[in-house]
Amino acid sequence: MTDSDPLVRFSGVRKTYGTFEAVKHLDLDIGRGEFVAIMGPSGCGKTTTLRMLAGLEEPTAGEITIDGRVMNEVSAHDRDTPLVWQSLALFPFLNVKENVEFGLRMRGVPKADRHGRAMLWLERLGLKGFETRRIDQLSGGQRQRVALARSLVTEPRMLLLDEPLSALDAHLVIRMQGVLTRLQKELGITFVYVTHSQSEAFAMADRVVIMGHGEIAQIGRPQEIFRAPRNRFVAEFVGRNNILPGDKPGHELVVAADRMQVSASDPGEGALAAEFLSEEFAGTGIICYFEGPEGVELKAQVTEDQLDDLSPEPGQRFWLNWAPGAAHVMAGI
Amino acid sequence: MSKRFEAYPYVWRLPLLIWQGLFFVGPLILMVAMSFWLVRNYRMEPDFVLKNWDRMLGRDYFWNAYWVTLWRATLAGVLASLIAFPASYALAFRVSETTRRWAIFFLIVPFFTSYLVRVYAWQVLLAESGPINAVLGFGGLGPFTMLNSGFGAMVGYMTLVLPLVVILQTFSLAAIDRNLIEAAWNLGASPRETLFQVILPAARIGLILGATFAFILSFGDFVSPFYLGGSKPPTLSILIIDTTKSGQQWPRAAVVAIMMIATLFVAAFAAVGAAYGRRK
Amino acid sequence: MRPSDIAFRLYLVALFTFVFLPILTSMVFSLNSDRFPTVPLGEVTTHWYETAFSRPEVWTAFGNSLIVAVCAAALSTTLGFVTAYTDFRYGFRFKPAYLALALLPPTIPLVIMGLAMLAWLGRLGISGTLPGIIVAHTVMGAPFAMAICRLRLSQMDPALEAAAWNLGASQWRAMRAVVIPFCLPALISAYCLTAAVSFDEFIVAWFVSGLNKTVPVMILEILQGNVDPQINAIGTVVFLTSMALVIIAQLLILRKTNA
Repeated sequence: MTDSDPLVRFSGVRKTYGTFEAVKHLDLDIGRGEFVAIMGPSGCGKTTTLRMLAGLEEPTAGEITIDGRVMNEVSAHDRDTPLVWQSLALFPFLNVKENVEFGLRMRGVPKADRHGRAMLWLERLGLKGFETRRIDQLSGGQRQRVALARSLVTEPRMLLLDEPLSALDAHLVIRMQGVLTRLQKELGITFVYVTHSQSEAFAMADRVVIMGHGEIAQIGRPQEIFRAPRNRFVAEFVGRNNILPGDKPGHELVVAADRMQVSASDPGEGALAAEFLSEEFAGTGIICYFEGPEGVELKAQVTEDQLDDLSPEPGQRFWLNWAPGAAHVMAGI
Repeated sequence: MSKRFEAYPYVWRLPLLIWQGLFFVGPLILMVAMSFWLVRNYRMEPDFVLKNWDRMLGRDYFWNAYWVTLWRATLAGVLASLIAFPASYALAFRVSETTRRWAIFFLIVPFFTSYLVRVYAWQVLLAESGPINAVLGFGGLGPFTMLNSGFGAMVGYMTLVLPLVVILQTFSLAAIDRNLIEAAWNLGASPRETLFQVILPAARIGLILGATFAFILSFGDFVSPFYLGGSKPPTLSILIIDTTKSGQQWPRAAVVAIMMIATLFVAAFAAVGAAYGRRK
Repeated sequence: MRPSDIAFRLYLVALFTFVFLPILTSMVFSLNSDRFPTVPLGEVTTHWYETAFSRPEVWTAFGNSLIVAVCAAALSTTLGFVTAYTDFRYGFRFKPAYLALALLPPTIPLVIMGLAMLAWLGRLGISGTLPGIIVAHTVMGAPFAMAICRLRLSQMDPALEAAAWNLGASQWRAMRAVVIPFCLPALISAYCLTAAVSFDEFIVAWFVSGLNKTVPVMILEILQGNVDPQINAIGTVVFLTSMALVIIAQLLILRKTNA
């Protein structure tokens, strides 16, 4: 066993519930100290994958190994795979410190030791002074940190997170993303992060796994997935992409919205004529929607100044084109 | 986890099966079996004869009791629903949330007072020389004979079932979407039309449930017909008690009991059909 | 206020008067000197309490009722909880039948339960004993306890139990450390309510009690004799005992919804 061996290996894992295939076939390695995000629409099998890793579900077929050890027969409570739940699942009848100590208590750590370690983690996550608070007396962000402390207090090699930020307000999400990435770097442990949010996954993960219909659709660094989606499913899921027919049969072109240029007159060079539909403010810019040839929907990201120059009216005709290098070709779907 | 045998789920599942099998299903099955047994020299002997069925179902006094019980229970169901409805309507639509909650709490209280003691109180209140006749006497009315009559029994049934019927009706009325009622008003429905076309159909399940519970409880009750109704004519419950307690004729009592359960089943199924069935 | 509102309010007052009239009168009569009370009332007296509670058999009956209620409530609550947990946690074939078995007993008329119990417990040789009454009251109380526990469990995030496993607790340990503490208020209120149900139940108890009478069975037998205001005195004490249990239960339910 060397450090270059993966920490987790899924090989040929399948999970069915009756006739429903939650996970069809999964081969995936997760490295030590890696921040991996598993992303996909609801029902794609991402949460099932995480639950199998934690031992809360048993694979129907295939093998999961952690550190080279086959885990299929190991029950959840004998694994060292703490999970941060979507609902947080904090114990409402215990106070903050008792919640954090729970894992240590279950593992039979003596009381004094438990206290010390819990206090250390509470302090580390900025919860000092909250030890005796009840869970319902905490804010959303504080609860989040209690859940993190509770999972990390046993000093695991790997932390599983199941959409932990989905209940938070937008501004808190950004802050917690910072807390999580910093924590992961400092601890140097593996984070496996399940989410349906592209912004969370792309902001934090070293590697993103896109799942759809119980299978892996693409694995790669955020940039790769964004610029070079492997198929239509990924391109559509990632969003803000224009999918256009390619030069050869079976080929499709993907052009990101921010690489689409809009002109009021025909610039030539194969620009697409399109009718303006509407615009949407999207933080980083403005997305304009057009109806292109054969009714295909086109998106282009423009700046506020550009929008003022164009001052588009619904139904007005524009031309859209892109630099030759900006299009990514998807072949053989 | 599922590959190995695990004791854990069975520890939670089995107690009910064992206990209810032993002390609920067992007694009921024995009762059914008992209805085919014979009594000789004041002792029951296992057998398979239809004599008890023949004896009970062939007698007028059984059928008299049956129809009296069925009629009174039906009347109690209808009466309780009618009496409860204006109160439930008021609690659902005309009072504040707090008042409603307190009202519900006070309607639960009677369940924890002895029904017997309440019936005894009625016995005193309704007596020929009792307080109610005394009060009526000041107004030059009465005295009325209220005890040992169908009226007395009905007072007892209402004591037993009214709180429950009001609770069920109130919950179902309060659950109606207010927009539905406002929409009816808005479309020009009169209060009467709103009641019959919107509110009653929307609260159907709760109303039927309330009437059904009133029927079931009154059908099985023996205290009111005995102590307030004067047990003449006897109801089925009184018949069971008389047959069991006096003559050791348990098999015949079992026949009456099975007939009662069968009737309740039919009533319950009819009610479920009426409550959840397709709307016409 | 609309005129119809006043009419509705008067109607509510009338209905509540009807419901509470017998409860209040029995309390009033218990302190009234007349054997056959009427209007105007007689003098205030504690005579009926003194006569009732100077009889040793009343004390024995209270003792019996207490033993039966304490045991039947413990058994009902246990049975109700394990059943509610099964329903909460597991799906299996025949589950509708399982739930029917759990919830059916209250629909069977008490007289019939009494008859069936009498015959069955007689065969088991525990008819006429306190254990016999306890068994019968447990069958009748368990569905109520199950309903209360199930309601509490439906407020529990299913991830809570899984979170305990995830943090190293075995299923048994998670039950002890998470599920039971979470359900504790419901367990206590189920205990109080089933104790109150048992304390008031008289028909089945009458069938199976034999010589070991409980309080309501004694009331029933006094009632079969003559008009006797001792019933009011005993009834008032029973009522106050039951209400104390119900209020404790209610307070715990309120506290649990706030927690």
